[in-house]
Amino acid sequence: MNITIDGKPCVCEPGEYLLDVARRNRIVIPTLCHHDGLPGQGCCRVCIVEVEIRGRRNIVTSCVYPVERECAVFTDSDAVNQQRRVVLALLRSRAPEADRINRLCKLYKVPEYERFASKSGEKCILCGLCVKACQSLGTGAIAAMNRGVEKEVSTPYDKPSDDCVGCGSCAAVCPTGAIEVKEDAASRAIWNREFRLRICERCGQPAGTMEELELAARKSGAEPSALCGECRKKAVADAMAATYGV
Amino acid sequence: MAIPAISDQDFDRLTRAYPSDRRYALAVMQDMQRRYNYIPPEGLTALAEYLNCPVAELYSMATFYKALSLKPKGNHIIKVCDGTACHIRGSVNLLNGIMAALGIGPEETTEDGEFSLELVNCLGSCALAPVMVVDGVYYGKVTLESLPDIFNRLREGAAV
Ligand code: SF4
Ligand code: FES
Ligand code: FES
Repeated sequence: MNITIDGKPCVCEPGEYLLDVARRNRIVIPTLCHHDGLPGQGCCRVCIVEVEIRGRRNIVTSCVYPVERECAVFTDSDAVNQQRRVVLALLRSRAPEADRINRLCKLYKVPEYERFASKSGEKCILCGLCVKACQSLGTGAIAAMNRGVEKEVSTPYDKPSDDCVGCGSCAAVCPTGAIEVKEDAASRAIWNREFRLRICERCGQPAGTMEELELAARKSGAEPSALCGECRKKAVADAMAATYGV
Repeated sequence: MAIPAISDQDFDRLTRAYPSDRRYALAVMQDMQRRYNYIPPEGLTALAEYLNCPVAELYSMATFYKALSLKPKGNHIIKVCDGTACHIRGSVNLLNGIMAALGIGPEETTEDGEFSLELVNCLGSCALAPVMVVDGVYYGKVTLESLPDIFNRLREGAAV
């Protein structure tokens, strides 16, 4: 199937998401709540673009918009830019401390809107990526608590959670750096809980928390690894080399 | 107020009617709320185990639905309507009167565990404004003067 994005001809499969097609063709569309490994959030609306089908133009959310017929896509039209500015202004008042949003605001020349009260000190935009990441690992230690203006991501009772393994996946997927992780050579603190880090037997770098290594071991049915990810790869490569004599 | 601890037998009784499937989470929590006047922490943990789902997911539900509460509610639940009609007919005065009489604000519970106060929107009985509902019983055109009497009778456990 053939479409054009900002005038550039692009080939895609029916049903492919517009954002993926654009990225493959090196066309930049800003995103916040999109993560390749956890697709489908579609809630920040920063990734909006304009799609023209048979002369009719519509604003769509590119990260969750499946391309189904031939169309012309505009990522930089006046309508897109104007609406994206409003979206960004709203996100900025929600999370004024989020650097990435502030950078996007500068890039897209978002004016100050005084009517929007801002939530001081906040970084989280409640996109839910962190919750999804935690769920997909099978831990499910965090979730969206309360509702309306009080909604927030947290652990039950805001207390250290027994389900949490301290892997930090939530913080890794968070687009705005809203989840605090403190780490030193021997321990990692996240979600009000402190975890001891296991040190890699080969290189002496932290290999992860005891709990996350145990969880990974339970899933794979092996012993908890004494090596960090890098050294594990090397160990496998060495074993291969020894076997095949290269 | 003594908060009943939730024993294994209690928990079995609560979940007996429900298969171990996540979609029954809300139903069990409603039953739990009815029985204990709140969702006890150990009930939440036991339910998570029973349904094989994370505690965080249940906690999230419990904080989302207004019908569920994580703090113990009183034996009698007073709902004061602050919908448009009741508001115009002086629900604020009524609310102030109740707050003064019981010493609690909306979403709070008296120390003796007798009363919880909730502020709600239109109860569908605007003709009776200002309306208050206690334990499901409607009181219409409530006056401040009638309050002490109502509360005393409820305290004594008399049928209303
Ligand atoms: S903490 Fe980050 S990932 Fe989680 S909801 Fe907030 S912004 Fe999204
Ligand atoms: S990136 Fe598409 S809606 Fe957030
Ligand atoms: S406004 Fe109170 S019953 Fe309708």
